[in-house]
Amino acid sequence: MAEMISLKDIVPAAQNNINSVFILVDKGRVTLEGQNRTCLALVADNTAAVHFQLWGEECDAFEPGDIIRLTNGIFSYQRNNLVLRAGKRGKSEKVGEFTMTFVETPNMSEIHWIPDPSNPKKYVQERVISPHSRIFPPML
Amino acid sequence: MALKLVQTRKNEADNPIETSLREAFELLEPQLRPPFPLGVPTPPEYIHLNRAIVYGVLCEPHFATVHIKHLHGKITDGYSFFTHTVTKVVNDLYHKLVDSAKVQLIWVTTEMVNVSAIGTEALLVALLRQIVVGDCNDGNLWLCLELVSLFLAKWDCLLEEEPLVLTSALYTFLQLLADQYGPARNSKLEELKQMEIHFCVRMLREQFQLCLNVGRDLVRLLQNLVHVPEFRIIWKDLLFNPGEFRTKEFHDISRLYLSKTPSQYFLLQITPEMETHLRFLLTHVNLGSQRRYQAWFMRKFLSLPERETLLIDIVRFICCSHHPPNEIIQSAVIPRWAVIGWLLKSCRKNYIEAHIKLALLYDWLFFDEREDNIMNIEPAILLMVNSIPKYIDITHSLLEFLFLLVDNYDIERKDMINRGVFSAFCILVRKGVVHSLDILVNCDALSPLLKQRLGMLSSSMK
Repeated sequence: MAEMISLKDIVPAAQNNINSVFILVDKGRVTLEGQNRTCLALVADNTAAVHFQLWGEECDAFEPGDIIRLTNGIFSYQRNNLVLRAGKRGKSEKVGEFTMTFVETPNMSEIHWIPDPSNPKKYVQERVISPHSRIFPPML
Repeated sequence: MALKLVQTRKNEADNPIETSLREAFELLEPQLRPPFPLGVPTPPEYIHLNRAIVYGVLCEPHFATVHIKHLHGKITDGYSFFTHTVTKVVNDLYHKLVDSAKVQLIWVTTEMVNVSAIGTEALLVALLRQIVVGDCNDGNLWLCLELVSLFLAKWDCLLEEEPLVLTSALYTFLQLLADQYGPARNSKLEELKQMEIHFCVRMLREQFQLCLNVGRDLVRLLQNLVHVPEFRIIWKDLLFNPGEFRTKEFHDISRLYLSKTPSQYFLLQITPEMETHLRFLLTHVNLGSQRRYQAWFMRKFLSLPERETLLIDIVRFICCSHHPPNEIIQSAVIPRWAVIGWLLKSCRKNYIEAHIKLALLYDWLFFDEREDNIMNIEPAILLMVNSIPKYIDITHSLLEFLFLLVDNYDIERKDMINRGVFSAFCILVRKGVVHSLDILVNCDALSPLLKQRLGMLSSSMK
């Protein structure tokens, strides 16, 4: 059984090994990137939030309030945005709706990461850019 | 050809219930055609067999009778597990079922009624709950028609075996009629309305004693239908000729007023999904964090103006069917009064807003400590008090409406209503839900007339 990770523990890496369950908090507009439809979203669990990039059919499959299980996802820089996504080898599935608590702070995409001085292959948090998403600010 | 129970959607995980049924079916497939194996199944085999047959009945219409005969031959528990499983399918999967499976669902329910299966009431209630108020699309109308036909066709059988389920049907159809009444948009709707009216009138005329189980909300529902000729006569009899109902306990409409409606009736207009979402909101979401959830709820269930009547049922549900334990009340979780305040503010139509206020205050009108539950009246007073000063218009609106009801709801029985409202205020202060009425009496933003009435009330309480 794949090991699940809390969003507060994800670290940017070139590996598709992120297995997590979170709720889709908000969804942006669908745009075209070449031939593909893409859309940015805010997802969160009860430890942290992060920007999630929806790709292709995912754009229509998920709505705010959906609880999603991500398998073999990847958290990395895509055109200067640090996003979590399913990627080519990952899978995202809706497993429920509504019944999940979440936080919007911290947002793992709104953190400035730098290579770990003692292990340049790994990233560590250097500073917080914003406590919450600047693209999907909290509803007040 | 692969059998299908639910519509598959991209990026959606398999539903565990569907999976358990399908796997049982695939496992036992060779044994599901005659000649059936003889011998008594072990308990785990029995469970698998029931699941397989549920799947077979819903997905293989041509073999449904074969499956049912097989089931009849193997039953050892009065069909209890079978109906329980079918009920789960309704509660968790109804909106995803393929159309043919829905047709089969009605068919198998009828079969269960025919054999007086244990658990039939829960199954019928689950189906009633899937009717969506304010929804005129074909699927919803089809379900209404199928259910009212079933209840009419199986009247005698149900009356004997599960009489209370007829009162649940009455509650549902009275509510639907209030919503559906108006110029018929099509002849199908007309036929449906006639059948619903026929069922309700028959219940009220022939089984009034049973109808008394519904309690005071029966009056609330019938009031919405006084303009319908068939119900106008019933309404007149309720008020002026109670003897017409030939029920010895029923001398006067006050008998209904003074009966609290059992909490399960308020689940009827709320789908299981709505119920889950609302209970989650009221159990796990802290005050201050509710905005996202409220937006999702609105978008999912209340996006169309016709659906606003649902707000009335949700308020009744929250007041009467969701009583949080002390740990939740004392925690940071969003309180019921705050959710009701949000629902009230979401309403766009005046007449629905009036009904929402009636729903919120209904148990105040005839409150009697011995019969009623303080938890049913607590949200209203807390909404009034906590709306000061920021949302003072809500406080004003609710108090004004409360006194309007006292003066006008039933002029002949005004004393009874006065007593009820007085008892409600008294118990709320006595039990410490509010310290006293001073906060309302001394509120400058309320009209002098309101403050005067409150002042008089408050001094009689001392």
